[in-house]
Amino acid sequence: MFEQDIINKFVTNVGESIQLMQPEVALLITFVLALVFDLIFKKTRSIAGYVAILGFIVTGFLLCTADSANAGGFAQMVAIDPFSNFFKLIILLASLIVVVMSLFSKELYTESRTLGEYYSLIAGMTLAMFLLSSSNNLIMMYLSIEMMSLSSYVLAGYTKEIKRASEASLKYVIYGAISSGIMIYGISLIFGLTGTLNLYEINSFLANADINLWALLVPTLMIIAGIGYKISIVPFHFWTPDVYEGAPVTITALLSVASKAAGFAMLIRFIKVGFVDSMFGGDFWAVLHLDWQHIIALLSVLTMTLGNLVALWQTNVKRLLAYSSIAHAGYMLMGLTVMNDAGVAAVLIYFFVYLFMNLGAFFFVLLIANKTGSEDIEDYQGLGYKAPAISVCMVIFLVSLTGLPPTAGFIGKLYIFTALLQNPDFIWLAVVGVINSVISLAFYVKVFRNMYLRKVDEAKETFKFSIPSIVLMFALAIPTLLFGIYFSPIVNWAEQSVGIFLR
Amino acid sequence: MLETIQMEYYLILSAVLFTIGTIGVLTRRNAIIIFMSLELMLNAVNLSLVAFSSYYGDSAGQIFVFFIMALAAAEAAVGLAIILSLFRLKKTVYVDEVNIFKW
Amino acid sequence: MEDLLFYLFAFVVIGSASVVVLSKNIMYSAFSLLFTFFGVAGLYVLLFADFVALTQIMVYIGGILVLIIFGVLLTTKITGVDIKSGTTGKVQLITASVVVVIIAISLILLFTNVEWVNQEFVQPNTTIDSIGFAFMTKYLLPFEIAAVLLLIALVGATLIARRK
Repeated sequence: MFEQDIINKFVTNVGESIQLMQPEVALLITFVLALVFDLIFKKTRSIAGYVAILGFIVTGFLLCTADSANAGGFAQMVAIDPFSNFFKLIILLASLIVVVMSLFSKELYTESRTLGEYYSLIAGMTLAMFLLSSSNNLIMMYLSIEMMSLSSYVLAGYTKEIKRASEASLKYVIYGAISSGIMIYGISLIFGLTGTLNLYEINSFLANADINLWALLVPTLMIIAGIGYKISIVPFHFWTPDVYEGAPVTITALLSVASKAAGFAMLIRFIKVGFVDSMFGGDFWAVLHLDWQHIIALLSVLTMTLGNLVALWQTNVKRLLAYSSIAHAGYMLMGLTVMNDAGVAAVLIYFFVYLFMNLGAFFFVLLIANKTGSEDIEDYQGLGYKAPAISVCMVIFLVSLTGLPPTAGFIGKLYIFTALLQNPDFIWLAVVGVINSVISLAFYVKVFRNMYLRKVDEAKETFKFSIPSIVLMFALAIPTLLFGIYFSPIVNWAEQSVGIFLR
Repeated sequence: MLETIQMEYYLILSAVLFTIGTIGVLTRRNAIIIFMSLELMLNAVNLSLVAFSSYYGDSAGQIFVFFIMALAAAEAAVGLAIILSLFRLKKTVYVDEVNIFKW
Repeated sequence: MEDLLFYLFAFVVIGSASVVVLSKNIMYSAFSLLFTFFGVAGLYVLLFADFVALTQIMVYIGGILVLIIFGVLLTTKITGVDIKSGTTGKVQLITASVVVVIIAISLILLFTNVEWVNQEFVQPNTTIDSIGFAFMTKYLLPFEIAAVLLLIALVGATLIARRK
């Protein structure tokens, strides 16, 4: 009788939760349909890609029209809140752009390669990232991180007859499995210390019970190491350059934007819901009487400095962008250091901006690799004259990645620094950030110099690109410029999206 | 039952198993052995979860163990598939020899 | 009696795990992994987690271990005697030992200094009942997600492993 009641109550809960999770359901259907359509229409290689695009558009529609819910679903397994919706939209946009980019990729469309699994795995990975950005329970967090990783291991090695792709994939899977092993050991210790896996219950347990802080530090660091691996924070970054260089360009773009966004969403939620003492409205970080802010600040300094310094002597553009994306993770960690609403909003703004400029830069690499078959910086000589239209776009992306004024990248950095400067303790961190931006100018200029300022001996052959690819390029470049000038809607939207669902 | 065997015993055993797994992961070069060591690490995690679960009378730990097992199987399948495809290309399963990348 | 069994299983687990990690012959490693899995299953039985113990045997031994042995057989030329598995140079050994010592010390400190939440061992009636109930109610979403995850792994593994 008693169990009957629980079951009845649960059935209604499932019904309500499914209502909230319509975008996820749409993605799941997309994933399965892409697989099925690929089996039925074997002749059309891109059919799964079209299904994925359609599915992503439907998902986006559901995501945008959904009521601004702020609730937990499936017995507090997931939280549907403005914060997760923001990240979901970023992830969805990134996946959509990557799927469209893939349609132009020569690297993928070699003869005799089937691409059905490629597009359906991207859909599956998007589903995993959606779940990750809203998971509220350590079990859900672990499952969705693993689901995201499994699909990205396979996608990174998709061009498996190319040696470097297979090697990248092997390195990725081995290090990824190690880091997730460390992470679940941390989770099991947290379970032992607090007796629960739910982030809210962990928070209220920590607020009420007297707990050995050193005992809590070890598992928390283990979990942060696991998430840090996914968002490539130094010292857990070592896989990033190899995998980014070895994987197909499209997957590199996806990993550098979407899975980083999902990882950041989880990191912010884990720290903020699990450990920040929100229930008493008191001081942030109060639960752990440790200096967490300085630990994160240290990680951030390490991450951006190493990323920028090592990028200086890279000769492969994909690898250079890999180090640049490590550095950008460092900038975003700066916003996390203050961990108040302004800081989180700054991270959200930065991600929105980063989406366009980083995907754009990778799309340029893809188009050039289509023509020349090379990603080497030396082969970029004279591209400014050979491919004028898209080179102008690339310059916009490079300026924006550096963070100089008329572009969106400047706005992203501006809000991060403003959030930091509100706290007098962290002015030094802002200074380090500015110095790093200056260093980064050096290697972005290197790309620019190769494109425009080096002499070209050969005849003035020009590269011709298809109209749709140029349209996509401009679709990425125009927002990068536009949001540098007209940014108030993004800022407003981000400031409204900092709300994390608290029970 | 189990009056003398405290929960700490299981935890220390799991820590030892985890450390052995870590040694394997860090020192071996054969990718398949690295995978075996990873399974040791996961078993250590499972052991500590089951110990907590039994001593606290909370089934959440055991539930988690099932998910970890499912994931370990999935990870092993994908990992071994990648090892196999690389072996076809390079005829080696040694991680060091898999090295065209540098800093 | 239970004490004795615990020490026996602990001995089996640690001994065979060391063989897995240290053995020069990859087949010895694979087979001693079998004993580790059995030993851990025995410990689960001592902890009254009977269903977990059964699943451990079926999934780890019936699935993962068989997979690993297939992996060993497919990647070593059976005609060649070269079934050795290499170990590493000094640099890696030193870093490895430093890392391992740090991990071990922090874990031991953690386990000896912490007052755990509850020490009273509660002997459950049946675990299968409560586990099944939890899977279908509170943990329904992870359960379904795990199914999707296995589908992804299936698609991915066949894709990577097939020849063309």
